[in-house]
Amino acid sequence: MLAFLRKHQIVLSSCSCLLLSLYILNAAARGQLKNDPIGPILLWLLRPMQLGTHAVTGWFSDIQKGFDTLSGFKAENERLRTRIQQLEAERNKLLEAEATNRRLQQLLDFRAQLPPGSVTATIIANSASTWFQSCLLDKGSSDGVGKGMAAVTPLGVVGQVISTAARSAKVLLITDPNSGVDVLVQRTRARGIVSGSLEQKTIMKYVKRSEDIQVGDRLITTGLDGVFPKGLMVGTVTKVQKQNLGLFQYIELTPSVSPSQTEEVLVVKVETNQTKNEGSPVNKIR
Amino acid sequence: MKLSLLFFAVGLILVLLQTTLLHLLPLGPIVPDFVLVLLVYWGLYHPTVGAVVASFLLGYSVDVVSSPILGLNAFAMSMVFLAVHLSSRSIWLHDPMASAIVVLLASLVKGAALALLSAVFLTVESFWISASLYIIIEALIAAALAPFVFPLLRRGQSYVERFRVTA
Repeated sequence: MLAFLRKHQIVLSSCSCLLLSLYILNAAARGQLKNDPIGPILLWLLRPMQLGTHAVTGWFSDIQKGFDTLSGFKAENERLRTRIQQLEAERNKLLEAEATNRRLQQLLDFRAQLPPGSVTATIIANSASTWFQSCLLDKGSSDGVGKGMAAVTPLGVVGQVISTAARSAKVLLITDPNSGVDVLVQRTRARGIVSGSLEQKTIMKYVKRSEDIQVGDRLITTGLDGVFPKGLMVGTVTKVQKQNLGLFQYIELTPSVSPSQTEEVLVVKVETNQTKNEGSPVNKIR
Repeated sequence: MKLSLLFFAVGLILVLLQTTLLHLLPLGPIVPDFVLVLLVYWGLYHPTVGAVVASFLLGYSVDVVSSPILGLNAFAMSMVFLAVHLSSRSIWLHDPMASAIVVLLASLVKGAALALLSAVFLTVESFWISASLYIIIEALIAAALAPFVFPLLRRGQSYVERFRVTA
């Protein structure tokens, strides 16, 4: 028996890992996975490295921007080029500081309009997988960030917090196929659900064929899903298609917030008596 | 043990790279799967129980930072490791092209496992058409990486083994 176990130890341990994965998957999908013992440790291990890499990436990006700006001055001599480089780097630093200041000021102004208890967080990492559109924030449950809270910017909706650790939180972006935001068309008040798709398109679903939707229409949150505050910009309609068959029209939109260009978000908790989590990814997971 | 720990540390760094620097590459939504290449190498040349656990944990760490539900990548990575290990007796990688083919096949196994589990546990509309495209592109990129990553890992492995013999 022992010899058998020893001989097949890798296959047996692999099968155990597969079974454990399936157990975790099943429990997570049913929402029964209350305590995740490994996740916080892994996040704790990765967080400092992610913060460091984030800083280095920002530094490289600044340098690259500096070089791009300098590319027009090829005819200049070396001394001037060096001088310009220094000035440009300094200027970039100042511009960056000014831009950050402006962004944070906007966030502060915006925060005043939101329900109390919102938290400002920085995006420190993106999804490690092609299959999911998510990002990691540098604030977690110890900062007041909780599962189900909305991540927004003054420009509009970014996504929803789907899990938290003590010092970080994972946000499912509205461009992910598993997300769902209850929206209405600002002009006609027609309602629908905005979600991502695997083709990298953001679409508005469940809009009746009879509804009047036009390209350029602005979509805002209804506030009825208990996740996102009412009246936040979600995106602008870019394509409307009424197919020959079917109850609904096909609507594509451009999200008002580009996650790749977003650095800070506000994490907001909406207190409402309406049905909570309607349209949230948690409900969509079987 | 030392080698397993080294590979696991490398794996964690690769997960970190996949969440940060690799997003700067002009590949759109596709993230090159270095972790998979590492696991294929590991499964071929140093299959141990520690490696099995590490493959599960690396998949789990990808889940922790990316997936909407835990367990998807943990399952897929464990599956890849098992598949590579079972077929390792009949595989002899003598040139870079062969390593690329093995990684391509492993990536297809991972993609298929992910797609299947996503279809079961997540509700995504018109899933299979897009999923097939992603599976193929991801597999091709991973295969292209293998001839460059394998020699680096081999060098790391021989360094650790030499160090062990000297000690």
